[in-house]
Amino acid sequence: MRTVDVVIVGASLAAAAAAKRTVDAGLETVVLERKELPRHKICSGILSPRGHRFLLENFGPLPREVLHEPTSCRGVTFHFPCLVEMPMDFFHGTTPHLHRKYSDHWAIQRSGAEVHDQTSFAGLEEKGDHVLVHARKHGEPVTYRTRQVIGADGPSSLVVRAVYPDYTKQIPWFFVGQKFHEIIDCPLSPEYFHFWFHPGLGHYTWSHARDGRQIVGVGFKRGDNFARKHQVVEQYLKDKHGVQLKPADDDHEGCAENFGPSLINRYVFGKGNVLVTGQAAGFLNMIGEGMSCALHSGAISGEAIVEAQRRNRPVQEMYRRMIASEVRRCSDQWNPLKIAFDRPHEADFPEALMKLSWRERGLVLRDMWNFIVLFKEFKWGRQIAAAALQRPIVGGYPIQKWL
Amino acid sequence: MNIPPVEPGTVGPCPVAPDALQGIKRQQTNPARWNGAGWQDFVAAVRAAGVELAEGSTACGMYATDAGGTAYGQPHGVVVARNAGQVSTLLRAAQAHRVPVTVRGGGLTTEGESVAFGGVLLDMSGMSRVLNIDAQNLTVRTEAGIYWHSLAEELRRENLDYLSAPLNLTSSVGGTLGVGGIDVNSARLGCSADQAVSLQVVTPTGEIVECSDDENAELFQRVILGYGQFGVITEATLRIRPYTPLAMHYYYYSSLATAIEDLQMLDRNDASDYSGILTIMDCAVNLLVAFDSDEREAAFKANWEARLRGFGEAGFALCMLGHYALRPWRIGEALYLLQRKQAVFPEFRRPEFHRDGKMHDRSVVFSRAVWKHWGSRQMVIPDLATPADTFIEAVERGNAVCRKYFPHYTLYCVGIKLRPEHKPHYEMSCVPPGAEGWAYGCEFEPMIEGEVYSRDHFQAFKNAIYDIGVDLGASYYRFGGMMKGYIRRVFGDALVDRHLAMKRKADPAMILNRDVIF
Repeated sequence: MRTVDVVIVGASLAAAAAAKRTVDAGLETVVLERKELPRHKICSGILSPRGHRFLLENFGPLPREVLHEPTSCRGVTFHFPCLVEMPMDFFHGTTPHLHRKYSDHWAIQRSGAEVHDQTSFAGLEEKGDHVLVHARKHGEPVTYRTRQVIGADGPSSLVVRAVYPDYTKQIPWFFVGQKFHEIIDCPLSPEYFHFWFHPGLGHYTWSHARDGRQIVGVGFKRGDNFARKHQVVEQYLKDKHGVQLKPADDDHEGCAENFGPSLINRYVFGKGNVLVTGQAAGFLNMIGEGMSCALHSGAISGEAIVEAQRRNRPVQEMYRRMIASEVRRCSDQWNPLKIAFDRPHEADFPEALMKLSWRERGLVLRDMWNFIVLFKEFKWGRQIAAAALQRPIVGGYPIQKWL
Repeated sequence: MNIPPVEPGTVGPCPVAPDALQGIKRQQTNPARWNGAGWQDFVAAVRAAGVELAEGSTACGMYATDAGGTAYGQPHGVVVARNAGQVSTLLRAAQAHRVPVTVRGGGLTTEGESVAFGGVLLDMSGMSRVLNIDAQNLTVRTEAGIYWHSLAEELRRENLDYLSAPLNLTSSVGGTLGVGGIDVNSARLGCSADQAVSLQVVTPTGEIVECSDDENAELFQRVILGYGQFGVITEATLRIRPYTPLAMHYYYYSSLATAIEDLQMLDRNDASDYSGILTIMDCAVNLLVAFDSDEREAAFKANWEARLRGFGEAGFALCMLGHYALRPWRIGEALYLLQRKQAVFPEFRRPEFHRDGKMHDRSVVFSRAVWKHWGSRQMVIPDLATPADTFIEAVERGNAVCRKYFPHYTLYCVGIKLRPEHKPHYEMSCVPPGAEGWAYGCEFEPMIEGEVYSRDHFQAFKNAIYDIGVDLGASYYRFGGMMKGYIRRVFGDALVDRHLAMKRKADPAMILNRDVIF
């Protein structure tokens, strides 16, 4: 049995950020990854500016190999059923279009952690002063004895299931899928990430250029039919935006998403010596960008372990104290009061709105409201309103709802 | 995937886009941990040479972070400095085995400069003896790991005092000489680094060299204000002066610009021995003026006091009363001012340090107050240093940034007298390139007050302050660590590359404090 200081489950950006902190602090860190590295990962790859800055500051300049073509993204364009377009540039310039297969591999290599790929997490036993982590490598069982575990294994986290078996049943699940099309003619600007607030298309509908093809993506409540949903979007783009695409190539992809916890402040941070971070904990920025908050929350989980050891305090106590700032920042993105009176995002929505005519503003707000109504069945409205009202009073979001 | 290693100090082309993260040079600022190659051979070599080197998490854990509290790292081993010979042995071995050496004095860096990301941490606090006090020529020879407060204590027994030192108790002499050091008398006596007469330096290749303006002048120029790049300061001869208690006067302003104009007027006319500005946000601006002698105080009262536009304590209280009576919605701010006044003011008037209306042992009084009322787990103090003419703009813009990021904060402004003959010392340092006569420094210090902010929040705040500096052609006291990307933006590639070439020549394996600025 291998004895280490920290085991990190997952080899994504959150894992790399956490590993960077624990390795820097001199802790022996092992990263477990189910697949062989470099591994494929479904993602839009559009990183927000603060995520970009984190990568530069912590892992160095990005090599060309970790980027898709176009290598950069200027901002986000919102589209509405009224056919009004709202292009918004990111603050601080363009951001990278990451090729997750290589960017994640690059970051985890740069973190300096020991990576055990093709090693699946199979369960854990909390022993009070240490944790036994069970895994399987090439089908053979392996066990690690570690002081702390960080679960950074994405939305369908096995670590979360091991710690909270019922959690996955308590939150709504979505499916997001994207298909890749050869382009015949595409009037959508390749410099922007395009997002549709259209209740008829899906809960999350997007498109952007990648490596000479056009991505058409759609997200919806789990249980619906991806092929049908995708076809509706493809047809809509053709009819309303003049996007002429060839039939989708065979390499379509999709995954389950836990969209929701960051809206209603229902994060899951772990128990005892097991910390959960990144999207596994529920961090997701608006427009579904999860990489920047994965990087920052991952780093905080690593810092919390170092800080807990230095101060001889329980690691959960340190983590929950330190993660509050990231919760505040991430949940602010969904807070209607913050959106109306502050600038919680990395692009200026209020300014883009004010550039429109009064009539267009009215149409946009009407369409946004119709889009929000699509989420009515999840009963998030009151929870978001309650959290939004508490925010200015207590200066943050209540921690009672965290797991 | 073949990822080429990034040479320290190089900034490669950005494959993302020319305008990605506008204005920030693309450089890793939170360094990678050294991989430990050859560590055991190095340990064997230094131990064989008689150097005591401690390993393990117990020895290394206490050095995991610095006063900034946002960088975490641990060395592979720790050496507590004992003498120059031992430091020389260590650096020779480190050079041969290419093992990074991070030097730490009081650990009061804020950007991780004194945090070791692997390699050896050289703890200078083991060299903390005062070697010789020359009361005749007013100089002191001291080991460089000594804290200023210990030096002050030793000097005080001889009724002597240092010239200027940072307003805290635990920064070391060597560390301060390497970055600058400002005090409320810097407008008259210059920064702490300018009081060094000569130094004993162990170069990165292990030579023990004495240097001063006359002897090995080039090394002296590089080591002073050199961020520890060109050698380890092991001993220093400093100018000192007779000890005097202070007569303090406080003037209160509600405008930053007016207070700064008055401060600069006093400095230009040599009207006071000590001067500085300490604020509670931008609401209560305190201009502090002090004197070493009754004659100087009398001259100030006769010639200059009437020209100051600030109020006394009672007058200012009335002003504030009127101000907030007309703005009742800002009652929270008024209550904070009141609470802060009640907590902080008595600290500067503690009876045990006051006799006959004069303050004794100012270093203790100020340092106590600094740690008690401004200190926290994380010291977040970005700063700007500018020529006199752009200082008001720098402070006002920085103040706006503070207001945006934090509910409460303090500004601390002082002048720094420059010595024309020390111009070579100032190259690529905290002294702004265009400054003549005086430079002015302002620290922007948010009150953390037990709140937990993310690293990103602090970093964004610091970047916003430092961006003002780039805009105005200013410089910074706290260069280094995570802010090292700014050095190229401020000084340009040509100057930084010239210093980098000098560094490579002096330190071929790039082992000494290698992640601080290059």
